[in-house]
Amino acid sequence: MKQYVLGVESTAHTFSVSVVSSEGEILSNVKSVYKPPGGSGIHPFEASQSHLSSAKRVVSEAVGASGIPLGEVSAISYAMGPGLGPCLRVGAVVARTLASSLDLPLVPVNHAIGHIELGCLLTGARDPVVLLVSGGHTMIIAYSGRRWRVLGESLDLTLGQLLDQFGRHHGLSSPCGRAIEEAASESDNYLRLPYTVKGNDVSFSGLLTASKLLLDGGKPFADVSYSLQETAFAMVTEVTERALAFTGKREVLIVGGVAANRRLAGMMAGMAERHSAAVASTPVELSGDCGAQIAWTGWLAHRCSVSVPVSESKVQQSWRLDRVDIPWRE
Amino acid sequence: MTESTSPGASSLPRGRLLYRGAEADVIQGDWQGLPAVYKVRKPLRYRLPELDEEIRRQRTLHEAEMIHQAKKAGVAAPFVYDVDVPTSTLVMEYIAGPRVKDLIGSERAAARAIFREFGKNVARLHAAGIMHGDLTTANVVRRDGGLVFIDFGLSVRTGRLEDHAVDLRLIKETLVGAHPEVAEAAMGALGRGYASVAGQPRTRAVLRQLVSIERRGRYARVT
Repeated sequence: MKQYVLGVESTAHTFSVSVVSSEGEILSNVKSVYKPPGGSGIHPFEASQSHLSSAKRVVSEAVGASGIPLGEVSAISYAMGPGLGPCLRVGAVVARTLASSLDLPLVPVNHAIGHIELGCLLTGARDPVVLLVSGGHTMIIAYSGRRWRVLGESLDLTLGQLLDQFGRHHGLSSPCGRAIEEAASESDNYLRLPYTVKGNDVSFSGLLTASKLLLDGGKPFADVSYSLQETAFAMVTEVTERALAFTGKREVLIVGGVAANRRLAGMMAGMAERHSAAVASTPVELSGDCGAQIAWTGWLAHRCSVSVPVSESKVQQSWRLDRVDIPWRE
Repeated sequence: MTESTSPGASSLPRGRLLYRGAEADVIQGDWQGLPAVYKVRKPLRYRLPELDEEIRRQRTLHEAEMIHQAKKAGVAAPFVYDVDVPTSTLVMEYIAGPRVKDLIGSERAAARAIFREFGKNVARLHAAGIMHGDLTTANVVRRDGGLVFIDFGLSVRTGRLEDHAVDLRLIKETLVGAHPEVAEAAMGALGRGYASVAGQPRTRAVLRQLVSIERRGRYARVT
């Protein structure tokens, strides 16, 4: 018989609730996104207040839109981490309340694994090298020995932070990825920027500083955006290629908010072609943070009887995905 | 260093594609009758040409130089037969033998023996001011009981503690990511091998720096 899981996401700027079925149907996925003022980043407390004030509406809309009465849901899952403490706590409170009042198991989900598993569901990827690129992560990941393993990552900023901090320096508000992509598409004037690959890892801090200096020196935003994208994306493509060559896998999956960028997807496609590997990205509407990633991964975990008592359901701001046992994969 | 541009090298090498790596094709062939590999850094079309050409040129020239430096430091590395800059090709001695990647099974004792030797060699490189830059288990081959380091494409001249720790971090990342069953035993052996060359104080300092780098990672909790 079909089962249903309700999932709550609230790790950063997005508060979202989704209901999915055990067959992988996303029946609803309602979001409320906190937008910081121009030029500034996410203020964790402000974001949590925004989540609190929209929580009731988002839950009712997600349940209503799914067409599944709460009484038919078999588990409540929530993003236990990693993320911003105040934001995580809002989602945890909402999930605990639902689980206690409905007497349902409470399933903790690692947000990053949520991105990966939802990406696998939506693209049909089975055993991919995963590039997880968002505001919170820049990691190259592959599954082996009951865990998702990190094969490479950023040594400092994430790709999302690089784009956001660069965009905000220009006065944009986060998230800035789309505005930078649009500006970049108007230029083909490459300005030399530092390209930093250390083994399987990348470093973006020098690239950010150099890009800001170019802007400060009067270079056009379009040219610097173009050069920044070309450099940063080539770096992550190179380390993804290294992981692909090293593991010998045949699929590449791009997940996380930056997966929406078409230039990045284009570079990855060009790279994968050399290795006769297939590339897939999570569809744009579900690539960013959303309840569906938590609900679907919640189902996978619930199927394997993963749950946490309410009394132990603390949030974990720092919770690396390679520390999570994955009982649902071969 | 000197660059050779012998006319023969500019033509594409004929031979069997041994390995398609991330940045180069490695082709097995011969050079003046000797078994050789041609490491060809082909243009990567996903990268902007001006960025791509510069990276390929620099890494090819630099790799030949670093292989030479590694040998001076007492670390086994292939002979370089020729360097062809226009095609970003390095012609090197063919090293017959299994890669460490393929040698590691789930046997902890075997992994310990390999990684003790691995650690000694890395310490020799570091003592000579060389950061290998690409110490994955795919880049070290066993031949005649010893280890041969084969890929110096990302090597850097540096004596900085941080850079030496980055080298060890990649080994650890590869072990934990690709060989989780033996990772802990192998890292322990690596540390002991490293210390037997570099001494305890330096080894402790590098390992401390490694932990500090890991702490900088996102969401890291280092135990």
